[in-house]
Amino acid sequence: MNLFNKVMVFSVGLTLVFTLVANLLPQVEGEAPVEKQVDIASLTMDDFVAMGESLFANKGTCTLCHKPPPLGRAPDIEGVDMVAVSVKRLADPRYQGGATDAAGYILESMVDPGNFVVAGWGKKGSNDTESPMPAIDKAPIQLSAMEMDAIIAWLQAKDGNEVTVSLPSPEAAAQVADASGAESGSAPMAAATAEEALTKYACTGCHSLDSNEALVGPGLLNVGGRMTPEQIRQSIVDPNAVLSEGFAAAMPTDFATKMTVSELELIVGRLAEKKQ
Amino acid sequence: MSEEKKMGPGATLVATVIAFLVVTAVFYGLDHFIMSIQGLPLNMDLTPAS
Amino acid sequence: MIDKNPGLSFWNRYKVSIWIFFLLMLTAGVIGASQGFSAEGSGVSERIAPIGRVHIAGQPFVEFEGASGESQEPELVAAPRPTRKDYPDIGVSSRALVWILAQMHLFFGALVLAVPLFVLVIELTGVITGDDRYDDMAHEFMKISLVGFSITAIIGGSLALALFALYPDLMAYLMHVFGAQWLVYAGLFFLESFFLYTYYYGWNAFRYGNKKWLHLTLGLMLNASGLTIMVLANSWATFMMAPSGVNEVGAVVGNIWEVMKGPLWNPINLHRFIANIAFGGAVVGAYAAFKFLSTRDPKLRAHYDWMGYTSNFIAILAFLPLPFAGYWLMAEIYAYSQQMGITAMGGILAWLFIVQAVLIGTILLAGNFYLWSGMSRTEGSVRYQWLIKYIAVVLVISFLIWVTPHTLILSAREMAAMGGSHHHILGPLGIMPAKNVAVNLMLVVTFLSFQIYRRSDKVATVSWAPAGNALMVAIYAVAIVNIIFAGVYYGYFTNTVYKVGSSVMQVASTLVVIIAGIVIDSLMFRNARTLPSHWGKISDRSQYALFALPIAFTWLMGLMGYVRSSVKTHWHVYTVMKDNSPENYIPTIGYAGNMITLVTLLFLVCVLFMFWVANLSSTRQSRPEELEGSVG
Repeated sequence: MNLFNKVMVFSVGLTLVFTLVANLLPQVEGEAPVEKQVDIASLTMDDFVAMGESLFANKGTCTLCHKPPPLGRAPDIEGVDMVAVSVKRLADPRYQGGATDAAGYILESMVDPGNFVVAGWGKKGSNDTESPMPAIDKAPIQLSAMEMDAIIAWLQAKDGNEVTVSLPSPEAAAQVADASGAESGSAPMAAATAEEALTKYACTGCHSLDSNEALVGPGLLNVGGRMTPEQIRQSIVDPNAVLSEGFAAAMPTDFATKMTVSELELIVGRLAEKKQ
Repeated sequence: MSEEKKMGPGATLVATVIAFLVVTAVFYGLDHFIMSIQGLPLNMDLTPAS
Repeated sequence: MIDKNPGLSFWNRYKVSIWIFFLLMLTAGVIGASQGFSAEGSGVSERIAPIGRVHIAGQPFVEFEGASGESQEPELVAAPRPTRKDYPDIGVSSRALVWILAQMHLFFGALVLAVPLFVLVIELTGVITGDDRYDDMAHEFMKISLVGFSITAIIGGSLALALFALYPDLMAYLMHVFGAQWLVYAGLFFLESFFLYTYYYGWNAFRYGNKKWLHLTLGLMLNASGLTIMVLANSWATFMMAPSGVNEVGAVVGNIWEVMKGPLWNPINLHRFIANIAFGGAVVGAYAAFKFLSTRDPKLRAHYDWMGYTSNFIAILAFLPLPFAGYWLMAEIYAYSQQMGITAMGGILAWLFIVQAVLIGTILLAGNFYLWSGMSRTEGSVRYQWLIKYIAVVLVISFLIWVTPHTLILSAREMAAMGGSHHHILGPLGIMPAKNVAVNLMLVVTFLSFQIYRRSDKVATVSWAPAGNALMVAIYAVAIVNIIFAGVYYGYFTNTVYKVGSSVMQVASTLVVIIAGIVIDSLMFRNARTLPSHWGKISDRSQYALFALPIAFTWLMGLMGYVRSSVKTHWHVYTVMKDNSPENYIPTIGYAGNMITLVTLLFLVCVLFMFWVANLSSTRQSRPEELEGSVG
């Protein structure tokens, strides 16, 4: 065998070894979630519960993290009675949310996971004040209200608890359809003008823009004269760094993550002009 | 390789022992530093932190 | 390896420092210009600064220039939402076609980016040492990769064509987001071609004296334009993985700089930069190995042995820090989206890391084997040969631990068959801490191979050599103990936070060994007595390691391309633009393996063509009548 053939046989042979290894492993395909058309008229509660279980394992991607110990990266859900756990959480003095029953608590945990962080499962370094879980009604998971209800139904049913969520009514289903149809047009857009931004973040709920009267927060009539643009920006992204005299730390601290950069600049620019 | 031996055997032993002590201390400090910048303690009493 | 070192004359030294100064000024200029370009007159540094950092007390604030935001805001257009029928159906799999073209483009792009980079370094080494062999080798490296530039461009053009034809909505959206950036890209491409041809064809015209510095500058500009092209192209890939500068529905709200500077951009830039060098070194090493094997002339064998050695040196040296760059990239992916990180590391893609382990194991074993074989070139190596068997044992055991399957998503039936979610023996070895120990130990002993190879032709003459050796031994011993301790203790007896925390300890230990090894040896072997080395005195079998390296590197690149693209799951642009094409699912590892083998073999064919063309230029056919005359 001449040299060229020998080298080719060696190279191609090695390539085939790698191919073989890849083909020997378990073959799993990552299916993209399929938008399911649910026939509301014929849906029974059992179907609804089964749908919830399927959502939990598949589209909701919950099982990526919520696994039985010691595998999980988040608290176990399948192995415990979530209704009993929820009742305990609601009684916890650390609980700050607005839910009053188990179903409400579970829903809240899905759409606003940071509301109550189970001890030991917070983001690293946050001392259990921040949750690593994504809000599942937002991209990339994007469960609809009906789908979240189905998951709650399954969580209640799997341990023999009474299912308190109701089956989606035709009207609700129609609403869901509307919402998803309108999504392309009315999904949260970044504000284009300072006025839009001020409305979007409800600044005027606490601050008066055209007087110096103190509502919940200080009036902003001549804020541009009192503060430099940099100070204004700081007061928005880190409101508790410097508090105006006589005001408590009541302003939301998450604008830095909620606002886009351009929105922040629009607001700062408009406030900086208010010099009088 | 005779020019490699410019220190006596005793001196080499001492150098080895000192080297080990110094390196161990440096690595201990490094471990402490690395864990502390991540906000974690370095438990040397082998009690697992839960 | 430098037998005759005439040293550096004062004048030469002077010119080196002038050139380096010029280089720094140029870099500063390029950075300044790029900032000027992206600033577009608005206070860009405050717009791109992470919001949380803008207000740090006590720091000088950036001058505020007022916000006339409306005028800068382009109209907000959400990302398109194509339905399945918006994707043209050409009868064959669109994804497979784009996959092949994209991967081929990446292979050749990586090659032609990396080669000029180390060619420039080798050329500079030649100037500093005054040894013409470096210059000749650098020239030869350029020669064999020259056709690669054209191949890159041809495949790149085909890729663009295929993307626009098969994924029109996605490309329209990306063109909208990146706007005029492609003009910059095209301009850079012309610049790169200009510098490429002047650099290559001017090699012998600008060979000595001041003209050499002109030539080095051309090489520098070639690299600068090439790297800029790479980071621009990277920004498209990272935008699709982790979009920035757009809102929830994909409407552009930031400027081009904000779009480019996504959270994964710099990790990918670094990772690709380092990996390209390792890849390029491995490919040209195969050329040297083939030339070595195909000749019996001792002079040529010595030359190609040295060339193969240098290529392997480049490939392995660039390979060693690569896991750390990968670690950073993975950490940034987790920080950007925990879900994306888990899809890659713990979800259906997790099996892929078994294949990755096989590939990296192949690379490390081949690299080590080549170093050990190379020790036969010098008589001084007998002093270190006893270490080889221990290194081999550590490598093999670590490799086996590494390929042990770890936490995977199992079906209920699989769990029942195994009697739990973990196998009772393999379980403890299959989890991440054990793998971290194995990977770090493999890197440490590979560096040890490297170090004893470098030492084998030298005898230290400094008086503190025994103390230096004792220090090096202590560093190895303590680092290895530290890596094992951190893995076992923190990995098995504490919770997840400590596992992650202590893996940083392990990585730091490995880095300390590598850095300390380089520093101590460079000080200890200053003015060392060199033992004679015999280039060309190496077994033919060892050369096959130089063929295994590029094959494994190529396959590995293909595999990592599969995972990088797959973590987006069913999104074109993650969270912003859904993929509704018929192939919006993650293919199985077997299918991916077949695709990767296909592109690897295609690449092999193209590289053979490239080498063949390079050798054509130095072949000259004799006149037919002369031939007849000599025969007759």
